[in-house]
Amino acid sequence: MLLITLIVLGIVMTFFLVVFVTDMIKSHKSKNQKYHKSEVIMAFVFLAPAVVMMFFFVILPIFMSLGYSFTDYDLMRPSDIGIAGDGFDNFRQLWKELSEHGLILDALINTALFVALVVPIQIGMALLLALFVNNKKRGTTIFKVCFFAPVAISLSVTAYIWKEIIPVDDLNTRYIAIIWIVFLSAWQGCGFQMLIFLSALGNIRKDLYEAAKVDGANVFQRFKTITLPGLRPTMLYILITVFIGACRVMVQPMLLTTYQSQTVTISLFMYKQGMEYNHVGYSCTVALFMTIFMGSITFLQRKLLGEKKK
Amino acid sequence: MRNRYALDPNFVRAKRSKKKIAWSIVYYLVGATLSLAFILPLLYMFAASTKDRDGIAQSYGTIMMFIPNFGSSSVFGQNYGFIFAEKEIWKYALNTIIYAAVIIVFNVIINGLAGYVLAKFKFPGKGFFNFIILFLIVVPVETSILPLYSVVNDLLGFNARNNLNFIGVMLPSMISVFNIFLYTQFFSSIPKEYEEAMHIDGASRFRMFFDLILPTSKPIIATTAVFSFIGVWNDYVWPRMMLPARAMGDTSWPLETIQAALTSIQEGGSSISPGQIMAALVVTTVPIFIVYTIAQKYIVKGFGTAGLKM
Repeated sequence: MLLITLIVLGIVMTFFLVVFVTDMIKSHKSKNQKYHKSEVIMAFVFLAPAVVMMFFFVILPIFMSLGYSFTDYDLMRPSDIGIAGDGFDNFRQLWKELSEHGLILDALINTALFVALVVPIQIGMALLLALFVNNKKRGTTIFKVCFFAPVAISLSVTAYIWKEIIPVDDLNTRYIAIIWIVFLSAWQGCGFQMLIFLSALGNIRKDLYEAAKVDGANVFQRFKTITLPGLRPTMLYILITVFIGACRVMVQPMLLTTYQSQTVTISLFMYKQGMEYNHVGYSCTVALFMTIFMGSITFLQRKLLGEKKK
Repeated sequence: MRNRYALDPNFVRAKRSKKKIAWSIVYYLVGATLSLAFILPLLYMFAASTKDRDGIAQSYGTIMMFIPNFGSSSVFGQNYGFIFAEKEIWKYALNTIIYAAVIIVFNVIINGLAGYVLAKFKFPGKGFFNFIILFLIVVPVETSILPLYSVVNDLLGFNARNNLNFIGVMLPSMISVFNIFLYTQFFSSIPKEYEEAMHIDGASRFRMFFDLILPTSKPIIATTAVFSFIGVWNDYVWPRMMLPARAMGDTSWPLETIQAALTSIQEGGSSISPGQIMAALVVTTVPIFIVYTIAQKYIVKGFGTAGLKM
């Protein structure tokens, strides 16, 4: 633990010193960009709390997640940490479970199914609702409040309500259980995306619609040529956030069902392996792949969105 | 069309308004149906909280499922009384409010100071911090929750599980990379002249932060505070990891947050009726509805900033 902390601290400090020194050299060369000593000191004093917190609670866990995946770390016996076999035992274990149809394969299939269904359904519902209430008719506020109400409810409350509503057998049936979870997740979440869509719809220029009307474009043509392009950046943002949120699905199956093959998801698998079976190393190996996957998706999003802005 | 309008304007207007009224009726009917569909599970939650075990079982699958029972057989009072007096849910609610208040105060000061430095100060190494912030927004932190758990455990030194656990619930939420990013953006737009004027008056940087930067940034601070509160109130997994369930018969003040308490209540076994669980869910949900209603303005603003700046 201490060793990992020191290594990570070393890496971060080295990077910082390199940038610090190059900045100093630059300011010495050019006369117009001088640093004031008191300002620099104050800057570091003000940054200190955030940097310390960020180091311990954001940066260190990310690096540790990476490091743990090669170890047999156990939360109950933290001092017993050692390299797992030749270092790749967890990866071999993961491969073995995948090829022998272990629980992790179920988790993978369930998560993929959940994501594939919930992303289009939730975004589609949100867009339809946003288009539905996007007018100046009286009383649409009440509709908006109703559509948004489930968002205010926490995931655990959502799960507990639906646990009473869904027939018990459905939750033990493969695929049907996931479809229920898709349905209740979309119900709970789509009001949020509806509001984001609404604010984007409000930013589309009204005169475009007037002009299209004069030109004789019907409702669908106007939607295709004005509304959809106007929503493009928002759509991408929503697509990625919903996608990432969906990949992390955990609380709903955790509270609705037990830890079973019909409903287990990757996040739930990681949580149970780490917290209840004490295979933190193995859990972190799965997390490593998950982080790489989600990180590249987010990176892609920023790339796509960044290009749009230019 | 134009010709006919010229011939008999009254005729066309009447015909148009008739069509309009018909459309309005359809619109409101569809809207009402959709709205009802969205809040049905919530109606169920409330309705079930007024019934006893048999009452819920009898109404299951019929329209009565969604209609609260305030008649002579209502156990409304007993259910809520049980949740408040016996299960002492108000203690958990109070805990959560205290945690959230502490988190918000630290969050604003720690991240605000960092944002202030990044927005207004000139110092060597600034590029490094800006890079780190952008990088950490991209990296999904959620997958490193187990290492985070062991970091917090080691920092507070409570593998023996003492009463310091509740500090662990709050610590990681005090830092928010995304808030630093938001604050930096917002503080950059505060004119330099204000600061210069205060500088001439001999104010320190610390004073400027509390007397100038924070008061002029009330909207963004309110937005982040509201989102922090909702996040803390609705968070389930982290407090559950940090604070293991209380032993039976323990009468000391509990440390759990409200969502974690729900699980304790739910796991109370057969002595707890579904109606009582539903009453607990209602009690958990109502405060968040109130927050959403009061803070509407800031939440909508938050959607705008979160959606467009990412």
